[in-house]
Amino acid sequence: MSDYRLVGKDFTPPDVTGKVTGKAKYAEDFRVDGMVFARMYTSPMAHARVTNIDTSAAEAMDGVVGILTADDVPEVEAPNAAILTNSPAYIGDPILAVAAETEQIAENAMAAIKIDMEPLPFVTDPLDSLIEGGANAREEGNVYARSQEGSGFRTIKWSKEQVDEFRAGKEPTGEFGSEWSYGDIDKAMADAELVFEEPFVTTGYAHMSMEPRTAMAYWENGKCYVHGSAQSQSFWMPGLARLLGVEVEEVVLISENTGGGFGSKIGAYPIAALPGWFSKKINRPVQLRVTREQEYYMGSARVGFQGWIRMGFAADGSILGSDVFIIEDIGANATGGDASSAGGAISLVYNAGAMRFRGLPVLTNTTPRGAQRGPGQNQIAAVMAPIMDKAAKQLSIDPVEIRKINATNNDSLVYSDRRTVTSAYMDEALDKGAEMFDWERRKNQPRKNGSKVRGLGIGQGYHSAGATGFDGLIRITPDGKLHVHTGVGNLGTYSYASTSRAAAEVLNFDWEDCEIHRGNSENNLPWNSYQAGSVSTFAHTRTNYVAAMDALRKMKAIAADTMGGEPDDYEIDGKRIFRSDNAAQGMSYGAIAARAIQLGGEYSGQTYPDDINAITKRSVENLAGTGLVGVAKDNLPQEGVIPGLACAFVEIEMDLETGKYEILDYVGIAECGSVLFPAGLAQQMKGGAVWGMGMAALERHVYDPQNGLPANIGYHQCGIPSYLDVPSVTRTSAVDLPDPQNPFGARGIGEPAMGCSVAALTSAISDALDGHIFGRTPVSPDMVVNHVTGRDQSFLPLQTNNF
Amino acid sequence: MASFDVMPDVQLYQPVELDDALNLADELGDEGWLLGGGQDTYGWLKDRAKQPRAMIDLNGIEALHGISETNDGIEIGAATTLREIIRDERVNRDYSLLVEAAGRVASPQIRNVGTLGGNLSQDTRCWYYRRGLDCYRAGGNICYANGPESMNREHAVIGASRCVAVSPSDTATALVALEATMVARSVKGERTIAAEDFFVGPDTHITQMTSLKAGEILTAVRIPAKWAGKKFYFEKVADRDVWDFALVSIAVAMSMDGDTIGDSRFVCGGVACTPHRLTNVERAVRGKSLSEESAEAVAPMASEGTKPLNYNHFKLPLMENLVRRAMRG
Amino acid sequence: MNPQLSRRRFIKAVIASSVAAASSSGIHSALAQDRPRGAVERLISLNINGQTRRVDVSPQETLAHTLRYKLGLTGTKIGCNRGECGACTVIIDGVTNYSCSTLTHSVRTRAVQTVEGVQSADGSLHPVQQAFIDELSPQCGFCTPGQVMSAVALLQENPKPTRDEVRHAMAGNLCRCGAYDHYLNGVMRASGQNS
Repeated sequence: MSDYRLVGKDFTPPDVTGKVTGKAKYAEDFRVDGMVFARMYTSPMAHARVTNIDTSAAEAMDGVVGILTADDVPEVEAPNAAILTNSPAYIGDPILAVAAETEQIAENAMAAIKIDMEPLPFVTDPLDSLIEGGANAREEGNVYARSQEGSGFRTIKWSKEQVDEFRAGKEPTGEFGSEWSYGDIDKAMADAELVFEEPFVTTGYAHMSMEPRTAMAYWENGKCYVHGSAQSQSFWMPGLARLLGVEVEEVVLISENTGGGFGSKIGAYPIAALPGWFSKKINRPVQLRVTREQEYYMGSARVGFQGWIRMGFAADGSILGSDVFIIEDIGANATGGDASSAGGAISLVYNAGAMRFRGLPVLTNTTPRGAQRGPGQNQIAAVMAPIMDKAAKQLSIDPVEIRKINATNNDSLVYSDRRTVTSAYMDEALDKGAEMFDWERRKNQPRKNGSKVRGLGIGQGYHSAGATGFDGLIRITPDGKLHVHTGVGNLGTYSYASTSRAAAEVLNFDWEDCEIHRGNSENNLPWNSYQAGSVSTFAHTRTNYVAAMDALRKMKAIAADTMGGEPDDYEIDGKRIFRSDNAAQGMSYGAIAARAIQLGGEYSGQTYPDDINAITKRSVENLAGTGLVGVAKDNLPQEGVIPGLACAFVEIEMDLETGKYEILDYVGIAECGSVLFPAGLAQQMKGGAVWGMGMAALERHVYDPQNGLPANIGYHQCGIPSYLDVPSVTRTSAVDLPDPQNPFGARGIGEPAMGCSVAALTSAISDALDGHIFGRTPVSPDMVVNHVTGRDQSFLPLQTNNF
Repeated sequence: MASFDVMPDVQLYQPVELDDALNLADELGDEGWLLGGGQDTYGWLKDRAKQPRAMIDLNGIEALHGISETNDGIEIGAATTLREIIRDERVNRDYSLLVEAAGRVASPQIRNVGTLGGNLSQDTRCWYYRRGLDCYRAGGNICYANGPESMNREHAVIGASRCVAVSPSDTATALVALEATMVARSVKGERTIAAEDFFVGPDTHITQMTSLKAGEILTAVRIPAKWAGKKFYFEKVADRDVWDFALVSIAVAMSMDGDTIGDSRFVCGGVACTPHRLTNVERAVRGKSLSEESAEAVAPMASEGTKPLNYNHFKLPLMENLVRRAMRG
Repeated sequence: MNPQLSRRRFIKAVIASSVAAASSSGIHSALAQDRPRGAVERLISLNINGQTRRVDVSPQETLAHTLRYKLGLTGTKIGCNRGECGACTVIIDGVTNYSCSTLTHSVRTRAVQTVEGVQSADGSLHPVQQAFIDELSPQCGFCTPGQVMSAVALLQENPKPTRDEVRHAMAGNLCRCGAYDHYLNGVMRASGQNS
């Protein structure tokens, strides 16, 4: 590790104290005078048309303030989710909302509302829609295909024979929606020493963030103030304004703390705009407390996969070709994307020589889908791990070794357009993990103990982990303090704080002299990235770096202007800027800031670069004259894919009689460039591990195909892992080699931290069962018991959204 | 459907004398809701799936609390919390089976307030029924869980009759194994019910899980000395090790004569609407020792008479395996 | 109302009936007429964090509701409102409870402690809070108040727990961020032990 003063060191992010004392405020903790409470009435039918709404009895009730229906809010183009709809496409689709003086009155009123609906055909498993004669989840079609030729609804059907063959594990022959490839896949398979095919299912499931997507809004002086549960801050603004039908400058978003997001709160979601529309209609502040059940309904859930893969290996274990076909369960309101990302992940993580991807996003009348931690990459990570083990076994190669043979490195070309990577050290990660885990010893230890058998697993995770082109904005004030303005958002990763330290690092500030401004769009925040996609670490060390470099340039120019010489004659240290050849001649940071205010112009933000975003421009204009302003767009060079990588080693002990397993040890290794914030990295790696454990064993959507009813709308049935479902200790470390395209060498990690975990577990489960591949997540105890006792599974092959 | 989430209007009575509670229960009949720890109450009410007129909070009644010795074993007040039972020295010494079962209930916070009476009287977790659908158990004339494609992994494999829901109580299996007696009081007086008869299946009464009548209050559970300090085995297999209900559980009490089993009680949870006694296994193990050999001999009997639904035939080998494990000693 | 129920017997007990839960609305007036004899005032005293608070509480009201919306103690979070997550955990007479699944009327005579009440009188943080900061235990922080309460209750009873005892004692608190390991480290640190 380098000799940075702040970067790479632990610190206490400023919001932690509020979290342990209960003072941290989340969206629902705010109350304003005159506020009323809204409740949502959601669809009891999986697919229907609302033909009549009678709210007369509800409106006549004392304490009822108003009703908001789909007619009061903008229509959106299908399949996008509307704020409210008269064409519900899943059970739980919001139809209307009631506002009242208390929540209880609102609920009493809701019970008095009569809604007539005309039921439409519905479907909860993509294959039941795809098969000839199957229902379409939407009247417009059953597929939403995105392709270069154009995107839109289509109706695609397969013959019964085609569906049956797919279920039987054969290569699908039905029509697909999109395709990409590189290399000669047919030749690769022909050349391969070992070729095999595997069908797979990964069931979608809910985010279930601890804080539901509650929002409160009111209008004041022509602006809509929204207290929301937002994963990102500045990134929300354009979308929220669009949903509210106003300009960006007419919206204020307050989101200082957010109780988790995991992809469900990346951009403004429709329901976040409901209180704003309702408030406008009834001229009262409106809070919509989203219940746990509604939090499930609102979705953005993980896309489910039903797929088939053919892999071709050379005798030395290298992957010559990978041919993958994925049907995506995209619910009723999404357009897909996970599947292609999964294909990309295969290309990157396993460095496949030739590849073909085919995908088909199929609509179902299930909860809306969107991004969830490693969308696509983490599903395929779970699928691939036992396949790699199977190849290793058949080729008599060590499971670590076969992964190293195929590991992406600095020279790899990835994705269909064969792009470079900024840097990649999966080899090193695997070595480090194997050593920490003591792989060599463990792989030879006894496996069976009574009804229990041990299984070892190795998993690899990947997500692109960086973005560029966002803005940095900092300020030094005459009191000698550094103010970092960040619009990253705060869902709990602390990257808003760890990336802010990049500016302090550049300018040699003590952390105690820094203040972070955030959490409210009126706090003069810059245009920053989404707090998602593992990007904020890479993106905002860069933005804060360029803003700080801009400030440093200005400091030197002011010093030269004030004290003579050239800007390059000056350097900084000890909160001073001084001549390199005469340290006595200098100015304090405070004095420089005061001088910047006197000089005006670009020094104190009266002028600013043309290329910064309008949101940043407004913030700079508000701050002009308050200090020395550093502001810049991240135009640093960037080329190639920015990979966030991780691997995990796990040992489980599976009880063959109960189907349950205990995780005896878990080692996760991050390969995310240089470590920016060790404790924060450990949190991401360990939290990601828990997510992987949930996906591997517990979490899934369950829908009754007879009525479209979801079984697991609460925490209990969703099966979020508890303290006792994960190991007491989780070990993590990092490769810690710098990425050349980040000023501090850092890349992101949040999503790969989970992918490596679920993959290590599917690998270990297979290992415990002598190489049996379920080809499915989650693997629940009933599946293990059925397998061990030679019984058929209860579900059809490739069935999804089932127990 | 409106998704409700706040407590609706409902009256609350907090009597401190049992007689007052009995009078209230009598007067309110079906419209009264007996409140123990409340952990299987507020969800029903918040969802508006059950709409009683009043709750009768039993926690303030001193007589319903505590664990005492009787001429023949112990008596546990129905309002005694699971936490108190788990920590009770005598119960730990003599009836550790109950401690183990109670210790696997839900979560620490729920065990802190959940009462024995409440745990025994709780309603089934059939997810269709819990959604407020108009099924048999809710007074309708359909079972949603037993359709050709119903998601019924957690449902019954034996003893179903129209309704296929299962008994969710962990302590129920233990108490049936321990041959406990339930004490029920009403304004008409007291009656005692064998634990096995306390729990009723849909063939007896499709809308309730116990034989308690409207106006009756479960006041105590008596556990006979017969099983004190005997050989016990408890195991619960659930998806998660917190909160979740048993996929299958087993509670076993065995009276050992040296190495040989005499009387025994084998009771499975999660397989039927009531705790399910494996009487065939009990007969077969008499005279056997605890060994791998006897485990193999009797285990297959555990699933005799079962009739699995579409998604739950895994419960059959699981029942067998749990018997197998109990028999290994 | 049954005449056998004497008023005297109900001095300790409340018959709290459904009268106007919401001050501004007359919606409950019809129910108020059903108010049984012997009913006492809805205005009750609660012992919250060592202070007596007078508050108007409807009979069906949950403690989480009273704390958050009547007393402004929003540190107690509602994550599920069904006793399935633990974000609303408070300590009542030394024992953890889900306040979303506790009737406020049932705690009239008892001591309720919330996350706002665990700091010492001089405002310094409870060792659990400090340790959670030092171990960077919270991620999103929404479950944290509940985690704090479970840890505080455990250490009151068992000042030197093993890590496994901590794990079991905290098991009724979900953390969707998966910060369990860091919370366990925090509790071990707060108890003066190595994690």
